[in-house]
Amino acid sequence: MSDATILVLVSMLITGVLLGLVFALVAAGVSIMYGCIWLPNASNGQVFVLAGLLAWSLTNSLGWSVLAASLAVLAAGGVMAWMLEFTLIRRLYEAPNRNIDYFVMTLGLTQIISGVFSVTYARYNDQYELPKTIEGVTFLGPMPITNTRLFVIAVAALAIAALFAGLRYHQMGRALRAVFQNRDAAALRGVDVKSVYRFAFILGTVVTMLGGLLYAMAYSFDLTLAWTMSVTAFAIMIVGGPGSIFGALVVGLVFGLTQAGVSVVASPTMATFAYLGAMLLILLIKPSGVFNR
Amino acid sequence: MKRFKSLFVAVVAASLVGSNPAAAQPQPIKIGFIAELTGPWTFFGNACVQGLKMATDEINAAGGVLNRPLEFVISDSQTNPAQALAAARNLDVNEKVVAISGPTSSDVALALYGYAEQQKLPFLVPAAAFPLLTKPGTRYTFRLEPDAVGWGYALAKFVEQRKPGAKIAVIYSDAALMRAIVAGLKYQAPLSKLNIVSEIMFPAGSSDATVQAAQVKAANADFVIVSGAGAFDNIITNQLLDLGVAPNQIIHPFGTATQVFGWGPRSVGSFYGSFFDLGLDTVTPAGKAFIARYHAAHGRPAGYGENFCYVTAHVFKEALAKAGGVDREKLRQALSQVKMKEPTSDVPIEFDKNGARKEYIYFLQMQSVDSKKDYRSKQVFYTEWDPEVIPVYQLVK
Amino acid sequence: MTKAHSNILGGIVCCSLVALPFALQSNKFLAFILGMVLINMIWACGMNVLYGFVGLMPLMYAGIAGIAAYGMIHLTRAEGWSFWVAMPVASLCAAIVGVLLGLPSLRLKGFYFTLCSLVIQTAMTLVFSYFPKYTNGDTGINQISPPTLNGKELNGAMFEVVLVLFALAAVGSVAFIMSRPLGKRFIAVREDEVLAEAVGIDVVRTKVLAFFLVSLYAGVGGCLYAVYVGFVSPRAFDILSSLAIWLIVAFGGRGSIAGPIVGTLVLAPLPYLLQEVPWAKDIILGVLIVGVILWFPGGIYGSLFKGRGVRAAVRKGDADRMVDQRV
Repeated sequence: MSDATILVLVSMLITGVLLGLVFALVAAGVSIMYGCIWLPNASNGQVFVLAGLLAWSLTNSLGWSVLAASLAVLAAGGVMAWMLEFTLIRRLYEAPNRNIDYFVMTLGLTQIISGVFSVTYARYNDQYELPKTIEGVTFLGPMPITNTRLFVIAVAALAIAALFAGLRYHQMGRALRAVFQNRDAAALRGVDVKSVYRFAFILGTVVTMLGGLLYAMAYSFDLTLAWTMSVTAFAIMIVGGPGSIFGALVVGLVFGLTQAGVSVVASPTMATFAYLGAMLLILLIKPSGVFNR
Repeated sequence: MKRFKSLFVAVVAASLVGSNPAAAQPQPIKIGFIAELTGPWTFFGNACVQGLKMATDEINAAGGVLNRPLEFVISDSQTNPAQALAAARNLDVNEKVVAISGPTSSDVALALYGYAEQQKLPFLVPAAAFPLLTKPGTRYTFRLEPDAVGWGYALAKFVEQRKPGAKIAVIYSDAALMRAIVAGLKYQAPLSKLNIVSEIMFPAGSSDATVQAAQVKAANADFVIVSGAGAFDNIITNQLLDLGVAPNQIIHPFGTATQVFGWGPRSVGSFYGSFFDLGLDTVTPAGKAFIARYHAAHGRPAGYGENFCYVTAHVFKEALAKAGGVDREKLRQALSQVKMKEPTSDVPIEFDKNGARKEYIYFLQMQSVDSKKDYRSKQVFYTEWDPEVIPVYQLVK
Repeated sequence: MTKAHSNILGGIVCCSLVALPFALQSNKFLAFILGMVLINMIWACGMNVLYGFVGLMPLMYAGIAGIAAYGMIHLTRAEGWSFWVAMPVASLCAAIVGVLLGLPSLRLKGFYFTLCSLVIQTAMTLVFSYFPKYTNGDTGINQISPPTLNGKELNGAMFEVVLVLFALAAVGSVAFIMSRPLGKRFIAVREDEVLAEAVGIDVVRTKVLAFFLVSLYAGVGGCLYAVYVGFVSPRAFDILSSLAIWLIVAFGGRGSIAGPIVGTLVLAPLPYLLQEVPWAKDIILGVLIVGVILWFPGGIYGSLFKGRGVRAAVRKGDADRMVDQRV
């Protein structure tokens, strides 16, 4: 196999895994919120970009390292999510058709966040980039891969594994899954549903922001990313099944690998139509998602 | 208390004197400026308005036009054609502006084009590059920025001069602007004896170009033409560089200050096209002053976008002076006959019968980038051409 | 309020609406806003039939409007047809497409249908961008000429009067449909499909008919938008447009005749009126939406006006919620 072909294949693999894991992480965040609280979060894309922008501010204006900035942003994100839950989200926990109401509310939040962006970051620059997280390049055969990308892949994989394990083995995780499946039964068994909801919202937000930070580490980004990411995250959640981390992982990886590899064999435009076709098929055949029990 | 009373009387008296109609300021000349202050093009719209404001302040400090201050009434199009039309109506009928200007986004500009031609309202487009803005038969619309298809044509000429018979790869985002540039490039490439060995187009919403970069590397091109949309341009560039493509093999069809900073020190040696840049040989003292003042006020050197808007104010000043009065027909006539030079770079400004400007582009090579918001570039190429040297209105509809 | 009184009130409202464009002639800006409000009202009426009365949220609504608009433009420009013929034909074609796109709803309920329609809308936006033969792609089509009436181009106040007539027809037709057995069947399907089937309602046929009618409203609105604004591009008919129209209905009060009107009157002019405060426009809109959903979950009209008819609508809203919960 020629060097050139190896280059293309290896790059397909790495890119696919990288994109796939980041997409999967964001989809997992949205999925947790929707599966548990029944909250379809239309503002997930804005939150995703917000994480990157805040990290940029910290690294650019205050000179912090990318890692320090990321931890700070995640902590701040947790606090913001808690405040949002306290003031807005909890008011609709009892509403019977709250998924529609939440969708409207988060559309409103999307407007507010994007309005704030348009008078701050949007005026400052049309593209943003974080400094290199880790210097240096590793070679996989003839293919040079920046260490930052390897780092992002590692962190994303760990995060998803942690989520999966936490939901399966940790007490709070099990409570979350109990509420996914049947809220009233869970309540009867002594689960404090409201605090599970709060946990789900904060966890979902922090996971989405982690996805945003990892994306910002690996790529440059601009504000148009918000909507694109939102739609992608929802699409992955639909196909994988709301509430299923495993589903988000598998579908995310498929997405990432197809996006990475398609231009080798077909036009990228056709690929986009192919995804949409696949999503429609899933919705028609198994609407609860491929991996939902 | 008595002191305050006399102070109060003094203030009232002063304001009465100040508002004496005999000492009133002359009525400003109003031009509507419909800019993208919110929406996807927020950055470009705001940068443009900032450049415009600098020019307006200078012009008014020097006495204005026809002994009246020049005033641009700024309205937000929200990067939305329907909003832009509403703003145009407002400015046209309520503010009774003598002309409109403002868009940096081509689709907003195209929407306003229809209105301007229909309402016979002179419309000077500062920085939108779509050729259709000056399609044959245009009477009231004038475009200051050379058209995008022409950039592609000039790019081919640049490569031809750099390395005759070169093999080129083209990698770009699927947006109207990039498609226009590539159309011009592909038209001229065979005529310039260039060989396009790889052409890759990304749909909107793409995140990663590593695989495509690998494909381009495998094609062994002499030059890679990179034109991504927004931040994606940076992604493509970085990933090409990661794979070992040399900076001086990369050519960007256009680059303004923020893009140069985005490409960063890694891209030193790369080429980019521009219409005004601090690295040009032809920057006049006025141009240098503009760049420095803009830098002081906004934290980065002025780029060609800000320059087009700065120059727009000066073009209106010239044309209004020539027209001799605030009359739309006279202004249209004066604009069509304008023969001046850009105050910042001495590049000639002249419009053809359809309102298209005699076109030009520079190519520069990045020399150094200081992350503290300064950079150095060297001019390596300049060309001018007539808008219809290639069948521009057939290549792009 | 007796029937006679509400008829008189309705008559007064109609007459004043027709007179409004003439009153606004001195201010072209406000006249334009009136025009946009009227077009949005037509759209909101259609969206309300599907969302408020049948209980399905169609996010591909703007895409259908786009199909009609592009179709109409093609017929008038390339084939030389008159607007008045092209518009119904294009809207009918769009309605057929709408029925086809609505077929998934036969299997999907509630939010899953919404997600499906989101996917369909995304695909439609891509189709608009990538088949430039009819749509001219991202660049859009500009200088769309206004329709001619009696040989003269429709301009100024006359155009807005025509729009008023269309809007009144839209509202009236929705009211008419909902008062007929078909309207009752819509509500029955929304409340409980299984029960509806059991009492002999052909659910499939009812849904198909609903999609057909709703797409007509989308299409007519789309054609009028194209000639009124004079410029269309794929961005005019994307997911954000669908969401904006849906928001008007959810905000104003779904499932009632007056709800979408209230929603349109409040939300549609806002982006234009807030043009002077670009820094606050999105934030104001966002705060308004969040506020309304927190305090008026059924929409403004549903929560504010506790009239006899409306209390019934709110109760219908409750039943509505039971349907959604079964997802």
